[in-house]
Amino acid sequence: MEFHSPEIAAISQPGQFVMLGLGLDRPGTWLLPRPFSVGWTGEDGAIGILLRTYGEGTLALSRLRCGEEALVLGPLGRGFEIDDRSIECVAGGVGLAPFIFLAAREAAAGRRVRLLYGERDAGAVFDTDTLGDLTGHEPEIFTEDGGAGRLGRVTAGLDPESETLLLGCGPTPMLHALAAFALENGRDLQVSVEEHMGCGIGTCQGCVVQSADGRWVKACIEGPVFSVGELDWSLP
Amino acid sequence: MTVTMCQGVFGAEFQSPVLLASGTCGYGQEYADLIPLNQIGGIVTKAVSLEPRPGNPPHRVAETPEGMINAIGLENPGLAGFVGEKLPWLREHLSQAHVFVNVVGRSIGDFVEVVAGLDEEQGFLGYEINVSCPNVKGGTMFGTDKVALDELVTAIRAETERPLVVKLTPNVPDVGDYARICQDAGADGLSAINTFPGMVVDIDQRVPLIGNQSGGVSGPAILPMGVYATWRARQACTLPIMGIGGIRNATDAIQYILAGACLVQVGTASFVDPYAAMNVHEGIQKYLTENGIAQLSDLVGSLQTEEAPTPPAPSG
Repeated sequence: MEFHSPEIAAISQPGQFVMLGLGLDRPGTWLLPRPFSVGWTGEDGAIGILLRTYGEGTLALSRLRCGEEALVLGPLGRGFEIDDRSIECVAGGVGLAPFIFLAAREAAAGRRVRLLYGERDAGAVFDTDTLGDLTGHEPEIFTEDGGAGRLGRVTAGLDPESETLLLGCGPTPMLHALAAFALENGRDLQVSVEEHMGCGIGTCQGCVVQSADGRWVKACIEGPVFSVGELDWSLP
Repeated sequence: MTVTMCQGVFGAEFQSPVLLASGTCGYGQEYADLIPLNQIGGIVTKAVSLEPRPGNPPHRVAETPEGMINAIGLENPGLAGFVGEKLPWLREHLSQAHVFVNVVGRSIGDFVEVVAGLDEEQGFLGYEINVSCPNVKGGTMFGTDKVALDELVTAIRAETERPLVVKLTPNVPDVGDYARICQDAGADGLSAINTFPGMVVDIDQRVPLIGNQSGGVSGPAILPMGVYATWRARQACTLPIMGIGGIRNATDAIQYILAGACLVQVGTASFVDPYAAMNVHEGIQKYLTENGIAQLSDLVGSLQTEEAPTPPAPSG
């Protein structure tokens, strides 16, 4: 899904997000805007997000039609910090979104990234041709039912011997598995975390995760991207 | 016609009746890039306690039908942190908007010490005393205990001459009784109301969804309860009231104003639309114009009722 928002498109970085909602006159009983990673930007001022329908709010957003308006606040938060190293992006579900953005940027700069993308089942896999068009890359797909791509979890595709910079975005259990892999193998990893969010700008203090030094840190302004060593992975 | 939105309340001139509610606007700075804070009536800061508080484990917030539930746990930098890190910004940047510091404590001594520590500082108008946070152990004790409430307000009153506003909890049989206690103990105003205690259950994991297990429910769902509490408080005392709970737009705010609130606070709605407070202000102005009401103060408490209100009979 794309929104015309030239100001946000012009300055967004991979890993940053937008709060997307329909304002106070929205249809239905849902209320809060939802955080979405910026999935891509267009020269025409478009920003793209990956939308998967979970409940009333995402359903209402999915019913937006061309020409209708939404409230988009962003770009928000801290994105991925990449350097000259080779990159492996590990995505679960809609956690693919920031890596579409990142891979496309890298492709435009003539660099390749490895894009590992996992889903529960084949039916959930986003259209690979579209992904190819958006990213300039061919993602390596993993499904837990083996219905598409390789059978198994996306973390199974990682090589312990490699020295790439790992980037992860996806459900919390996947991030835990990825963090365990990175810590065990002494690998650099940055993850984009998921937590319930109220405002997206640091005022509600709702979206905390525990830092390695025992503080609650706000995913919206201190993240959503953290280095693996910044967070406490002992919690569920 | 030209209408006057200005009101003199708490010994100060309020250019707008609309404030941002405690817990939804941080310490002001977070919203400064988004809306012109100096065009609204003011802000009420996130709670300040004597010592820093880390807050509750996640999940701290979740959506509920027409609202949200939160159990942040009063995370704040403490008195010293607030004075050192937050107040200077407020002092420097909020010239037209008034600042109330929301104060919380576990004991009367805690409250008094925070107020004593703040009182000589510049950069804020008065205090909003939080006797009603449901998300910390013992958090509603003062707000639901008439004797404790009287003692607390009396003790804080002895410590300060600044405007002293008590934020009431709706979780009592009749808010009016507590409003009157606050007035008799020397409070200058009331905020009605804080959140309602609530719970959301994760039916997949079969556990409470919120890390604190329960939380406070806010948002449009609680609008009629807030209006009612404001009306009860209005009947029971003569203190200025800040109406709060579920305000999305001018229509909601005007309900509070008619019920007796001279100021209103916009809370959860700001998360949905950061411009909500601005829109409420403009909408009230439009209402006054369209209805030929020259001054906002003429509207305050002008609700027409046929007879004195009585609390509803218990149902069931």
